[in-house]
Amino acid sequence: MSEAVLNPLAAPYTTAAPARHPAYNEDIVRKFLIASMFWGVVAFLVGCYIAAELAWPQLNIAPWFNFGRLRPVHTSAAIFAFGGCALLGTSFYVVQRTCRAPLWGGKALADFVFWGYQFVIVMAALSYVLGFSKSREYAEPPWHIAVLLVVVWVAYLVAYVGTLLKREEPHIYVANWFYLAFIVTVAMLWITNNLTLPVSIYSSRSYSLLSGAQDAMVQWWYGHNAVGFYLTAGFLGMMYYFIPKAADRPVYSYRLSVVHFWALIFIYIWAGPHHLEYTSLPDWTQTLGMVFSIMLWMPSWGGMINGLMTLSGAWEKLRTDPGLRFSVTAVGFYGMSTFEGPLMSIRSVNALAHYTDWVIGHVHSGTLGWVAFIVFGSFYYLVPVLWKRNGLYSKRLVAWHYWISTLGIVLYITSMWVAGIMEGLMWRAYDAMGFLQYSFIQTVVAVHPLYVVRLTGGLFFLLGMLIMCFNLIMTVTSRSTARAIAPAAALAAGA
Amino acid sequence: MGSTLSDVIIGVLVACLGLIGLFAAAGALDIEMSIFGWSMAGFALVFILGLIKRHYDEIDAARHAPQAVTIEGVAIHE
Amino acid sequence: MRLPISQSFIERNAIVLLIATLITVAIGGLVEVVPLFTIQTTVVKVPGIRPYSPLELLGRQIYVREGCYLCHSQQIRNLRDEVTRYGHPSIAAESMYDHPFQWGSKRIGPDLARVGGKYSNDWMYQHLKAPRSLVPESIMPDFAFLARNRLNTKELIAAMQTNIDLGVPYTKGDLKNAQADLAAQADPNADHSGLLLRYPKAMVVQGQGGRVTELDALVAYLQILGRMVDFTDPAVEHALAAQGGK
Repeated sequence: MSEAVLNPLAAPYTTAAPARHPAYNEDIVRKFLIASMFWGVVAFLVGCYIAAELAWPQLNIAPWFNFGRLRPVHTSAAIFAFGGCALLGTSFYVVQRTCRAPLWGGKALADFVFWGYQFVIVMAALSYVLGFSKSREYAEPPWHIAVLLVVVWVAYLVAYVGTLLKREEPHIYVANWFYLAFIVTVAMLWITNNLTLPVSIYSSRSYSLLSGAQDAMVQWWYGHNAVGFYLTAGFLGMMYYFIPKAADRPVYSYRLSVVHFWALIFIYIWAGPHHLEYTSLPDWTQTLGMVFSIMLWMPSWGGMINGLMTLSGAWEKLRTDPGLRFSVTAVGFYGMSTFEGPLMSIRSVNALAHYTDWVIGHVHSGTLGWVAFIVFGSFYYLVPVLWKRNGLYSKRLVAWHYWISTLGIVLYITSMWVAGIMEGLMWRAYDAMGFLQYSFIQTVVAVHPLYVVRLTGGLFFLLGMLIMCFNLIMTVTSRSTARAIAPAAALAAGA
Repeated sequence: MGSTLSDVIIGVLVACLGLIGLFAAAGALDIEMSIFGWSMAGFALVFILGLIKRHYDEIDAARHAPQAVTIEGVAIHE
Repeated sequence: MRLPISQSFIERNAIVLLIATLITVAIGGLVEVVPLFTIQTTVVKVPGIRPYSPLELLGRQIYVREGCYLCHSQQIRNLRDEVTRYGHPSIAAESMYDHPFQWGSKRIGPDLARVGGKYSNDWMYQHLKAPRSLVPESIMPDFAFLARNRLNTKELIAAMQTNIDLGVPYTKGDLKNAQADLAAQADPNADHSGLLLRYPKAMVVQGQGGRVTELDALVAYLQILGRMVDFTDPAVEHALAAQGGK
């Protein structure tokens, strides 16, 4: 701990009360925060709808609202719109504060990143329902929308790195390493996985550059690292700023952050082939994927330990700060899913789990438990700061949100565990005569009740999100949170 | 003001995108490309109008309240 | 031991941090992806694999468009129960002309890698239009609208040409006869000799008297899945064993 206190990387703490405050661009952070909340509601709503479609197929309204067209809307809205806007917004907030420099490139560049990103999201969603998906999971938009996203992303990188270069602090704070790794790696992944040849430059149809086994490898190299760099590295950046801020403690260990940063980004990229075990991808690639997936457990838990131990000496804050409770639970879920992931990559486990709902449950314990919760925690901290309010409108509503969504996650992941393992076992069951015991449709019937439970969990999560929206809107508009006198010390320290 | 150069560069970039959008809409072989092209042209138009509006808003603000210029419309902590 | 470049240096230089990060994340991908193009046994060519017929190619586009891959895999793993349920494990050659691959990642419905020929055309049409009329417990969406949509063949030649550019071996003759082959495959009364010469085992579908629908194309595509390679043929066995590939 003393190490961290002395370390220059404890940037937010070495400069407890800066004398002069540069003109930060907070407008862009507010915009991204609002967009993230909006897309979060959309993503959870669509998620609930497609979950209901799986329970009651009559809900498929052909052709636009069939499961096959809506599912990419859900995943893109959750990952790129809800998670993405949260990442872009908080990264702009964190980079300005920890560099003590206003956002580089002026308002025009920041606004272009914001509006360009929103435009890409809307166009992508529209293309899926109209039937122009490229069928690459988490990279479904048609080629021209993928290219436009690259333009926006480069603008984002320029604004971010520009700010880093103009910083007043000698060192780059640890949160920024993760945000930067997220920006750079996602660019690399996105460009490679979107290499396709259009039928004509005026046509939305295209054929992927690669085919078959090689194409599968590149897709899952991308797909797994969308999880690794979009949903993990970026949100670790968020963790490294907002947990120390809310807990008012420096990061537990600087050395641990160095080691786990480099180890995490190096190892994560190898883990893709665990999505392709026992397939016609060569065995050596599958083995590499499995080995690195298991190794990945260590740097992942390094991050978890660093996040949790930051609270040592400040655990009592969990009782008084419900926002922090979200962040800490998020790190707990992060630890759980990064243990479950390596477990599922082991060949014999994968043989059972692959193609089943266990995978869906695993993904959601990561996205709901880790990603969404760390976003909620950060936003509960940020909104009073950004809108200069005297605290949140209601802490009780935050507690309600917390318990409702936690219950939702528990329902979601336990139902998917049961469904997944049941599917895996039923598919492989042989009877005494040596015939397969169950037809496929019998497994579909068997998981129906669990699909209903999953939907219930999703609805709980959506309800929690709506409570949060209400609470934050009231925080911004209600008279009770207006700053009458000098702002509370806790909020003024938002530098 | 420091942001003028950035306004011009981004403005030109977005104008190019808008132009590409018009070409895409003009040659579109399918409904998706057509919607995309028109939307991108519309996006560019609205975005650039926004840039121009902000530019004049800032000039107006500077004229009426000279002190406010130093903070560029971004509120600061007391 | 001292590293040639220290953390303290890296974290004080944004560009160095950026480049170091990029190098670190590039290594894994390079090691795993590049050899897939250089090691010969990655994709072992076996007799029977051919490019999709024009109707199958457009049917595949419908499959991609409707997001079928989100519920159906096309990849039989080398596990006992999967081989019993679905057939011979998928081999890499079977998807070598698949731009993009459609292996899928989730089985909300069964695997389709070898669904071709398992059901009659009539069953396929009825099942796609109203799945629950044949399988009451099915949770598949209805695709009756595909039967109402006329198949868009305007981009056919451009689509085949794009595939040629990507390495799919369509010949000049294939291109020349593309529209005729497409029409023939959707017309049971047509002369199919040319079609079957160019695209062996292609399954002729109903059509509606010269009017080809999207459903016709989709059924044609589904009916070829897994049928190109004859695994009882010793030549196939030999090709696979000789190169130790899959």
